[in-house]
Amino acid sequence: MNVAPRYLGRGSWLARRDPRVLIVSLAFFVVTVVQVWDLRILAVLAVTAYAYYRSARIPFREVRLQWGYVIFFVSFLVIVNTLLTGGELRGYGVEELHVYFNVPLLGTPISAESVTYAIAQYMRFLSMAAVGFPIAFAIAPGDIGPAFARLGVPYKFAYGLELTFRFVPSLAADLQTTIDAQRVRGYEWEAKGRSPIGKVRRTIPLVTPLTMNAVIGAEDTIDAMDLRGFGTQRRTWLRQLALDGTDRLVLLFFGGLLAAVTALSVAGLTQLWVPQLLIDLASA
Amino acid sequence: MSTATLDRDRNSGMWDVTARTIVYAAIGAALYAVLAQFQVTLPGTANVALRPGFAIVTFFGFAFGPIVGLFVGLVGNAIADQISGWGLLTSWNWSLANGLAGLLAGVFGVTLAGTIRNRLALSAVSAILAVAIGFLFVFSDLVLGSAESFEAALTANYLPVLIGNAIVAGILTPILVAAWEPLRESMGR
Repeated sequence: MNVAPRYLGRGSWLARRDPRVLIVSLAFFVVTVVQVWDLRILAVLAVTAYAYYRSARIPFREVRLQWGYVIFFVSFLVIVNTLLTGGELRGYGVEELHVYFNVPLLGTPISAESVTYAIAQYMRFLSMAAVGFPIAFAIAPGDIGPAFARLGVPYKFAYGLELTFRFVPSLAADLQTTIDAQRVRGYEWEAKGRSPIGKVRRTIPLVTPLTMNAVIGAEDTIDAMDLRGFGTQRRTWLRQLALDGTDRLVLLFFGGLLAAVTALSVAGLTQLWVPQLLIDLASA
Repeated sequence: MSTATLDRDRNSGMWDVTARTIVYAAIGAALYAVLAQFQVTLPGTANVALRPGFAIVTFFGFAFGPIVGLFVGLVGNAIADQISGWGLLTSWNWSLANGLAGLLAGVFGVTLAGTIRNRLALSAVSAILAVAIGFLFVFSDLVLGSAESFEAALTANYLPVLIGNAIVAGILTPILVAAWEPLRESMGR
């Protein structure tokens, strides 16, 4: 089981940026995207996200499972929202819809507006995922702690974040060892014919020893940190971070994008926009 | 470990942040991120998944305090999302909801201790209450546009996560507490 983030973007243009740039850019971009439903603006944001993602040079074959998960989950969100809202979307009443057909049994109208809404949701979430991927794959694992500390996160919690990233691979290996050890004793989590609650109970032989071993093993780390005086005064980091001109330009770009979209949103220009082509299809 | 350090930790309040708090929080967050790979979908439902790993959030909150619980839920969920490809901040409000559940498990573990004497029953009640209240934050999907209506937020977001996580937390948290309490005594914590 390999659940550890891998440094797949090593050496790319984005990986050479200060890690704070990737984190702040994502935060700016997420706040930007959630304000927009207009497909024309979303198209601009999607192109921006794609260009940004490409600059991390993450090989697709290494992350296709993750993209598959994203697409599956977004599809689920879109379908649930479209079916459960009874056709009322983003301020459009049922009487305003350009209906193609009604879903059998549920009666929910599938309309030009709901199709536009679905496309907008896909664009919103895929754009956010594209800008989020480089944090996992284009930041050197050792830069996580200093990056968050320099962003103003209290140093104890920044160190906690770095520790978390370090613990993930070793705990994943411990989990695999525990699974193997329990299998030797006849344990099978995937065994068929059990209820879901039975399956939850069947994780007890995995979760309990893994958790207790991890907590007991933490004592060594705690002792080492205590012996080095962790928490007695402000910590400094060996890794020094400094923004260069390109980093500032990237931040300026994403900050500008956020400001521009916020201004459009305040002016009411980011609402759901339905292409005439989709409306015409309803009357065809 | 020195006696002075041990005494300091025993006397520390639930909001203190020590080396112990940070290490337990980091271990818990990493465990949650790793165990998030296990999911069981309830038959007959589209999206009610039981995630055994969620019990780590309520257990760490209950056993090691609200700060640890907050960190485990918030950071663990964000890293699990990042590993799966969903993105560190794409569903930041869900990570915060997980964090609130962990924090409340710790708070209820202390505040209800006078009412419920049995530690295992206390851990189960604290965990279920924490899930029910902490995950109310997922209604922020209405503001963020991920849920189109209150009905969608309730039936597609809140109720599935409430049912799934309450079952998991109600079963596994007391079991983890039962395993941890004797160990804690023997370690002098």
